[in-house]
Amino acid sequence: MHPAPASFGDADAGDARRISVAQVLVYELRVRDAMSKPPITAAPTDSLRVIQTLMKSRRISGVPITRGDALLGIISIEDIINALDRGYINEPAEAHMARNVVTLRDHFSLVRAVAEFDRHEFGRFPVLDGDEHLVGIITRGDITNCLMQHLERRAEEALAQEATLRAARAADEAANRVVIRAHVRTGDYDSAGKISQRMRQVLRDRGVDPEIQRRAAVVAYEAETNIIIHSLGGEIIATIDPDKIVIEAVDTGPGIESVDQAMQEGWSTAGRLPRELGFGAGMGLPNIKRCSDELKITSDSQQGTRLHSEIRIRKPGAAT
Amino acid sequence: MNTPATLTFAPLMAALQAEALTNRRPDTVRGCYISDLLSDVLAHAEPGMLWLTIQTHRNVVSVAATKDIAVVLFTCGRRPEPEIVTEAEQEGVALLTTRLSTYEAAGKLWEAGLRGENSHE
Repeated sequence: MHPAPASFGDADAGDARRISVAQVLVYELRVRDAMSKPPITAAPTDSLRVIQTLMKSRRISGVPITRGDALLGIISIEDIINALDRGYINEPAEAHMARNVVTLRDHFSLVRAVAEFDRHEFGRFPVLDGDEHLVGIITRGDITNCLMQHLERRAEEALAQEATLRAARAADEAANRVVIRAHVRTGDYDSAGKISQRMRQVLRDRGVDPEIQRRAAVVAYEAETNIIIHSLGGEIIATIDPDKIVIEAVDTGPGIESVDQAMQEGWSTAGRLPRELGFGAGMGLPNIKRCSDELKITSDSQQGTRLHSEIRIRKPGAAT
Repeated sequence: MNTPATLTFAPLMAALQAEALTNRRPDTVRGCYISDLLSDVLAHAEPGMLWLTIQTHRNVVSVAATKDIAVVLFTCGRRPEPEIVTEAEQEGVALLTTRLSTYEAAGKLWEAGLRGENSHE
């Protein structure tokens, strides 16, 4: 079976890290997801003739012989052919069944199940649960069907997600909205300012008042450097609408101990390296506040810090 | 608030005994700010200014671009890495360097008629 060409995971990850969906599925899916259940079984006292009829009517090629949930043996189509050939088709299953049956556990991954099929050359395996009860039977065809179904479902999900994204983009375009979203890594001083510059470019192209461009750029720059210096990493989302710029900075912690204190000019917890680079003046949040029309900061040690700044864009010619 | 005096580029270079690192040459600079703290510059520098600093890493260019600072002067003979010069070129920021100390450079600029930033309240 050829895996679908679709890939999975972080789109930015290198090709070396790309794994096909089918590859992921054979590790994720379990034997219990693919097996036929409940299994079609026969009693040890059933004649091979009865089992032959059962195989024909249910279109199966192997029947586990059980007492209650306990697996005693298995009769395959080969056993039936031999029985017909040698004239003991009317004898009971227990006289001719294979007794040392190789089984799979229901929690095995499909990749392990495939390996067992390759190793033993059986057409099917009875499947037992943790209590040694027979819970199903699995063939290579079951595995293929299961993978195909899941691939199809994943493909549908991916298409639905793409449609949602496309709809969101279309809505943004209709609203004349540009959203810039970027991950910010802790300690990545060299990247500071990239987001603010991308945002600046959009504002410049839109002919926004340069003073408003600068204020927005300062907010984005300070918010970004705050994440770089103080947090465990986070994200900046700049949403540019015709009438306002919203800059959101979200990080994953450790949170600001006292937002009130951090709002005071000169108060900083920055370490030696950022200070040597000219950061840590204790002016970041005061600068953000000065440049924002609206500012909300929430912070706690559990969820990190969330900063929401809005800067209004005055229409050219409108009264201030 | 006093209006900062402007200084055209040629006398600026002469006064500072400066070397231009970028090809970009603004006609004039308008006012001056001196600080090595980036957030301080973000808070107080004005567009079109000359900024004196001893910091030479790439955030200087980002901050200058953010505030539309026209020229950055590295004092005490400091110079940035070549890729930072390239970036400044792209961002529209002119970079200069001088052997003068920040104090001496500021003195020369004052003598040449450049006045400072707005006073702080």
